[in-house]
Amino acid sequence: MRTNVIRVLATAVLMAVLGASAALAATPPPAGDAKPVEKSRKDLTPMPEGWTALRQEEAIKQAHKQYPFVEDVLMEDLPLRQQRLRNMGIGYKDIKQSYILLDSPYVDTYEKQYDPVRFMHSKHAASLDGDCAACHHYRPADPNAPETVSCRSCHQDTRTDANTERIGLKAAYHMQCMNCHEQMKKGPVNCVGCHTKRSVDHKELVRLPENPKPQEVTAECLRCHQEAGDDMLATAHWLWRGPSPYTTEHRKSVMSGKGTTTLNNF
Amino acid sequence: MPDPKVDLTYVAKNVGPTSRKTCGTCHFSGGGGDAVKHADMSADLYWPSQTCDVHMGGYDFSCVECHQTRNHKISGRSTSAPVAEGSRACEDCHTAKPHYGDTLLDHHLNKHCATVACNTCHSPVYSKCAPTKTWWDWSTAGNKKREVKKDKYGKVDYDWKKGDFLWKESAKPEYAWYNGFTKRLLLGDPIDPEAKGFGPGEDLTYEQKRQLVQTRITEPVGSMRDPHSRITPFKIMSGIQPADAQHRYLLIPHLYPYDKEDTTAYWKHADWQKAFTEGMQKAGLPYSGEYMWVATTMYWRIEHEVMPRENALSCVHCHESLKGEQGCDRCHQDSRGSKFRQLAEQGTDFQLLQMMGRDVGDLIGSTDYIDFKKLGYKGDPIIHGGRFKKLPLGFGTANK
Repeated sequence: MRTNVIRVLATAVLMAVLGASAALAATPPPAGDAKPVEKSRKDLTPMPEGWTALRQEEAIKQAHKQYPFVEDVLMEDLPLRQQRLRNMGIGYKDIKQSYILLDSPYVDTYEKQYDPVRFMHSKHAASLDGDCAACHHYRPADPNAPETVSCRSCHQDTRTDANTERIGLKAAYHMQCMNCHEQMKKGPVNCVGCHTKRSVDHKELVRLPENPKPQEVTAECLRCHQEAGDDMLATAHWLWRGPSPYTTEHRKSVMSGKGTTTLNNF
Repeated sequence: MPDPKVDLTYVAKNVGPTSRKTCGTCHFSGGGGDAVKHADMSADLYWPSQTCDVHMGGYDFSCVECHQTRNHKISGRSTSAPVAEGSRACEDCHTAKPHYGDTLLDHHLNKHCATVACNTCHSPVYSKCAPTKTWWDWSTAGNKKREVKKDKYGKVDYDWKKGDFLWKESAKPEYAWYNGFTKRLLLGDPIDPEAKGFGPGEDLTYEQKRQLVQTRITEPVGSMRDPHSRITPFKIMSGIQPADAQHRYLLIPHLYPYDKEDTTAYWKHADWQKAFTEGMQKAGLPYSGEYMWVATTMYWRIEHEVMPRENALSCVHCHESLKGEQGCDRCHQDSRGSKFRQLAEQGTDFQLLQMMGRDVGDLIGSTDYIDFKKLGYKGDPIIHGGRFKKLPLGFGTANK
């Protein structure tokens, strides 16, 4: 059935909003009329005790593992190293972690604007046709060391590393990823293409009276986020209609949706 | 308005990134309850195990990590609703060759990606965490005295406001060719010309209702001959709902009372005529005053509850011809060194799933899982040839 209910509800909400703002403009209701409602902060879907996302947990653990700093690397011209690794048969099968969280104490020391990057190691190896040397560009000078080591074995913190010539881990990640993405004209080069932006603590920023009305809270959000508010008003989630580019015979429509003509059998 | 119990100041001061809760509060209970509409989404996805959904349970993905937003427009499309503000597909992250190794298995699986949607193998059953509604018969609504029974999942079989229901947990999807476009019956569109309804007084059995010609509200577009179409899993939602007997379009009842003075809502007065008259007036379409019950069906694309590779379908689940094979020599030079059985027969273990309490008894030992003939093949493509390449492989139908 078409969700007429929803439309009716939306109208009801709208009317409540209008009604409430009218009431706000008029004289406030006599005090003591409305019963104070006890506020609840109860999380209705709390995380069950012991729940973990196993693979992510493992990746976080791995990302925070410390490695001894590799001071000396074997200087080897990249095209030659690539051939050497190919001839040694080093490739996909040697990948130990197909998923890596690019996170490390070295990266987060000075600012925490963005969340760590989820890095699909195997996928990158595949898109490079198994050319490990494309990223693993040098090897430790120690002949007993493995042919490929993690980024943070060689790139750590420029301020404390013995080798001051070498760039730190954060710079290494960004140069390696962004330069390659640019060269290949593939993959993101902007911040939010790889990272999620961390949210700002709003505890000190939000200014609200005691027991605010919902509209007052919205107004307080809009004090800084007017543009987000305007954006929201143009979305399908707000309007219950929008473009339907994948519905045949209606690919050009911008008025499709549950607020207009969509049917279902629920 | 929000529940007055919500501590709005606390909420505002603790604003943060969206989570599975943000979206799930509505989307996990579409249709009026947990997992009712969306077969592949339920409250289990708030805190899922990694075998329930590998992205959310294994890697702790929030919804917007895939459904990325731009100016609050959320990417993604569904078969159930027409609106799309950006597309999202597995391939956007995983590429068109998502089996990243250089082994023989990777090679074969990547070739499958041109013909088979990721979810076909990686979401082999839907609603594996919570049962979903698969049948809803509005024609039986209104009996406030009828005893409500619970099915084997503990779900109710009847609600006087809504009618009869059927539920299914861990269901095998229906497979169809799909190229991303959907045919859709919209408000005012005529129902199937062959469809025959039954009148308010007529009493049909469940089996008779199942035999009725169904009007398809949504239907995937695609064909075996179209290289852009792939074999894609769907939940089929069927049911009985009202149509205008003269205008032959679906009717919209006014269900939920406007207020205490409401005089027409079905959920208050249990009077269809009043509810249709009011509902259709609100919808802006004429109502002839005469209604009938018709059968309808919808295709719901399965996208979530993605299984990790260890639990995806294996080769033999679909390719019966590979069952019992010892090596790859049906198609390749004899190489007993390959771990064929391990490659071809590992995957979704329905027996194990059943032991874990899932309702998959009917799927244990199944072959031809996606039903090749129904999809338009003559049979197993290994024996009869693929959709574009007609070269049958190996030694015909005779089993070794």
